[in-house]
Amino acid sequence: MGTKTKTKRYAMVIDSKKCIDCKACVVACKAENKVPEGVFRNWISVERSGDYPKLRMTFEPEQCHHCDEPSCVRVCPTGASWQREDGIVLVDYDACIGCKYCIIACPYEARYHNPETHTVDKCTFCVHRVDKGDLPACVETCPSKVRVFGDLNDPKSPLHQLLATRRHEVKNPQTGNGPQLYYLL
Amino acid sequence: MREPVWEFLIVNYLFLGGLSAGLYFVSGLATWIQDRECKPAYPALARLGALLAPWPVSLGSALLILDLGKPLRFWKLFMHVRWRSPMSIGSWLLVAFTILSLAYLWSWLDDAERRRWIGRVPRRAYAMLPAFLRAWLEADGAPRRRILALAGLPMSVAVGIYTGVLLGAVQSRPFWNTNLVAQMFLFSALSSGAATLVLLRFLSKDRPGLRELRFLYGLDIILMGLELFIVLPYLIHGNLSSLAVKEALGLVMGGPFTFAFWGVFLGLGLLAPLAVELWEFKPFLLGRGPFHVNPRWAMVAGALVLIGGYTLRYVFVFAGQATGF
Repeated sequence: MGTKTKTKRYAMVIDSKKCIDCKACVVACKAENKVPEGVFRNWISVERSGDYPKLRMTFEPEQCHHCDEPSCVRVCPTGASWQREDGIVLVDYDACIGCKYCIIACPYEARYHNPETHTVDKCTFCVHRVDKGDLPACVETCPSKVRVFGDLNDPKSPLHQLLATRRHEVKNPQTGNGPQLYYLL
Repeated sequence: MREPVWEFLIVNYLFLGGLSAGLYFVSGLATWIQDRECKPAYPALARLGALLAPWPVSLGSALLILDLGKPLRFWKLFMHVRWRSPMSIGSWLLVAFTILSLAYLWSWLDDAERRRWIGRVPRRAYAMLPAFLRAWLEADGAPRRRILALAGLPMSVAVGIYTGVLLGAVQSRPFWNTNLVAQMFLFSALSSGAATLVLLRFLSKDRPGLRELRFLYGLDIILMGLELFIVLPYLIHGNLSSLAVKEALGLVMGGPFTFAFWGVFLGLGLLAPLAVELWEFKPFLLGRGPFHVNPRWAMVAGALVLIGGYTLRYVFVFAGQATGF
């Protein structure tokens, strides 16, 4: 840590080639954040191509991209959707009126209507853990180390080094949201 | 395709909000245009529109609140002004529009009507109102009709266009995110107001006169023509646009919303009433032939415009949410 004065910018690197679709991250998130039945803060999309016996299957973990220019925050009429200085996009559950405009505005379909609280809900990067210095539940639990969480502004972080040395992409940059989930190629 | 989170309550609201905007707009024009004696040129039409205008939008706003996950928190909308959120701007706009349209309605009531309504308010409650408001409520509204009509024109355009902006300003939904949706909704909203007035004027005891009909038909033809000239570029430009937009348009070009869009909205709800009204309007266009009005056809045309306007909103709300990048 030491001399760092820059603010933090949290992000996540995802090495989807390592993903085996075990869904431990989904289960860990559900347990950690008490996500109600039927809705999810993260999921794994499966893409199949080709025909037997020549076929391929790819798994890509997905969740909120904690964008730089989050459209959910822009469209929110009450300011319930907001962004911390470290980039984490959150919902203030007391201010949310449940209009669902942000669900529609999110290009990554990362938000859902919580059937228990009737507000909108989403991935928080497990702020309650991160603020204590721990990792998000999905990162900690992943058995094949698909996910790397860290501070983009910290040159010593493994995340920073991965992004400096490996080719990567973000999803749908054309929406202008500036997503912060980096998928290694 | 993903599940929609905005459903029929929102479709109804978009339709009703637009309808109120249309009613106020047409009534406002009918008030603002004057005859030789400097009186509103089409008083029956103007009054009918003024009496109706506040109600659809009020009902629509109620539906909008019911659609919230937390309806009792709706007041939080009015604790903020967030310029980058179309919904925030829209909420304020709806309040301003509803107040203005109520003031406009009041100005069209005659003395006896005003007194009857004031009489229904408990005396003590009425006395608690500020004096200037009581004076305003009791005074003859006729002199301020024109200024309220004039103020209503930009306000109803704003409400009509806002219903489209609410959808169009979402960059993640390529079906909505073009610069044509707002205008499409605006002209559809205004023409639904004109159509409602055509329908109701023929149902009222004093049938509309020729001059009034010429005004209504002429206005409706212009509005529907403008709508058509927005819809066509929307389709053509969309099909020549980037893949995401083209794929989104696929929903109405062979996809599940094709019949609703082409058959019900475009055919039945826009081209058919446009053809009927042009046919009825023909003597004015050509400058010859007798102008005989067929009330049945006129009412059919009016009803079709309303069906078309509703279908347009249904298609946009549901198809738009099914699209993405």
